[in-house]
Amino acid sequence: MFTKSLTTALLGASWLALAQPSLAETAYPLHLTNCGVDLVFDKAPESAVTVGQAATEILYALGLGDKVRGTSVWFTDVLPEFAALNASVERLSDNDPSFESVVAKRPGLVAVQYEWHVGPQGIVATRDQFADVGIPTYTLPADCVGKDNTSGSDGTRTAMYSLDSLYLGVAELAQIFNIPERGDALIADLKAREAAAIAKARDLALADASAVFWFSSAEMDIDPYVAGNGGAPAFMMAALGLRNVIDSAEEWPTVSWETIARSNPTVIVVARMERRRFLADDVEKKLEFLKTDPVASQMDAVKNGRIVILDAHGMDPSIRNIAALEVLADALAGFGLK
Amino acid sequence: MRAAARPGPLMRPLVLWGVPGFAALAVAILAGVVIGETPLPFGMVAAVFANHLLEAGHVVDPIDAGIIWNYRLPRTLVAAACGAGLALSGVVLQAIVRNALADPYLLGVSAGASTGAVAVTILGLGGGMIGISTGAFVGATLAFALVAALARAAGGGSAQLVLAGIAGSQLFNALTSFFIAKSANAEQARGIIYWLLGNLSGVRWPDVSLALPVVACGFVICLWFVRALDAFTFGTSSAASLGISVRRVQVVLIGMTTLMTATMVSLVGSIGFVGLVIPHAMRFLTGPGHARLIPASALAGAVFLIAADVTSRIIIPGQVVPIGVVTALVGAPGFALILIHNRSRA
Repeated sequence: MFTKSLTTALLGASWLALAQPSLAETAYPLHLTNCGVDLVFDKAPESAVTVGQAATEILYALGLGDKVRGTSVWFTDVLPEFAALNASVERLSDNDPSFESVVAKRPGLVAVQYEWHVGPQGIVATRDQFADVGIPTYTLPADCVGKDNTSGSDGTRTAMYSLDSLYLGVAELAQIFNIPERGDALIADLKAREAAAIAKARDLALADASAVFWFSSAEMDIDPYVAGNGGAPAFMMAALGLRNVIDSAEEWPTVSWETIARSNPTVIVVARMERRRFLADDVEKKLEFLKTDPVASQMDAVKNGRIVILDAHGMDPSIRNIAALEVLADALAGFGLK
Repeated sequence: MRAAARPGPLMRPLVLWGVPGFAALAVAILAGVVIGETPLPFGMVAAVFANHLLEAGHVVDPIDAGIIWNYRLPRTLVAAACGAGLALSGVVLQAIVRNALADPYLLGVSAGASTGAVAVTILGLGGGMIGISTGAFVGATLAFALVAALARAAGGGSAQLVLAGIAGSQLFNALTSFFIAKSANAEQARGIIYWLLGNLSGVRWPDVSLALPVVACGFVICLWFVRALDAFTFGTSSAASLGISVRRVQVVLIGMTTLMTATMVSLVGSIGFVGLVIPHAMRFLTGPGHARLIPASALAGAVFLIAADVTSRIIIPGQVVPIGVVTALVGAPGFALILIHNRSRA
């Protein structure tokens, strides 16, 4: 217990020391470099459109819901605490919005989760195309800091994802909208929860525990999409003292069950999602596969019931990472691992 | 008994080609089980086979045993069945439409399968209750039905069949692109492309019990119509003059190849090249007679696809290359060599 509270205190102290005191007001013009693009804001934007659920939920969490004129690219239901708010905001599209539908809202800012929507090869548009019509774009740094979006199907991490890039996005959005204190408060809250979850797992002093994150599979028995060693799941595993059995810099590589079974992870994390494109999107189908497949069912994690069900969107860089970290830490504590 | 002492005209090639042929198939199957992403010793493979076939009771790690018996063996058997099925379909279609370029996907099966797969995964047809395979099979048969109806309406000749196949393929490819453009994001499109290029990683025993009987049936039907196939290579009128019921044989054989190809595509995706090239390569070896060409093509197709699958697993360490890429990468130069060799011999 003593170690635990000490670790928590130390981690808490370190972020307090690192956190930069923000002024109550943003000093305009505000200059930012965001994913390689220089941005200048003369004043806080009046409105925003979001492309990507993670960007939407950050704006909601910052209390900026009343400025959001439209949302798009939804992966799952909005976080329950924002359900009422979200119901009053127009959803431009479930998937990729068209360039014109975004522009038609005349937003003061387009907040973007992924570069493959708005970026150098953006399927909605490039950032230049928005700039040409006078609309600034802000991309969450979590998708470009230490990440190369030109290789691999979901991009490739050149450095492991860290929540710092998420916090940077929260802080910069708060600055842009002239609410720096709200940004600091949100970050402080998230960091405290992060530290507590990490301390909980570290208390278990896991010696050689490993894990695999199974997102989905194109077909039930086919090579599954699993978390590579650079994304948000890899960060969670590293933070909690788990070794990722997958060795790939891709965000979500496909790896054969043969390789996964032989690496015999201590814990299997399966994604729960509302998407129903593939049979394996259904978490129940994933659990059924693990229990019935002649090889997968032989893995120690399956035999000993060490399976954790995690919100799929919590595996993408987003504020949900913190809740995912908490769920995972709680589950590990419940497994009685040595 | 005298007949047995002096091999008849059919027995001689069976001994000459059949024995080495089946030996090659056995070696290929063994290689398919032993060689993979993770090295497993040959002794362990032997122990697992002994456990399952003879209840020998050797102690083997259950994960390794499962990989050998439940992943690699069915995968290899389905590769063999697909290779044989595609090669047989190629032989039959080349004979019926009298076109050297005919391949199993000529009649829109592959394009229809893509459309079906996309309809399931991207449009969400079936509400997540049916898999890509089922969608692909339904799409493949629908596409073929359309092509067949069009060919019939156009007069029913072999040229009309080929043209109807081209039209059908174009239509279904356009539908696939339309669905992807309409509602897919990059992530979904990728899942489809991965599948379309051919992938054997999801193959399990139930797939074997589907693929093997289908190919066995196809093989028997082909052998049954050997004489008719020989006659067709000289044209439908000469076939008719030999007393062959042209329309009936065409319907049976084309229906059979479609069923076989659609089954294979729905199991492993569109694997190109095998159905086009193996029949030609075998014709150089056996001559044009279908009594020899059919068993030779089935065997060669099976061995070739197992070899391609093994290659796809080891060519890039830690990653499986789509098998369709390997069949073309390995098959095209090999076929070129056969073409050149045949010219210098002629």
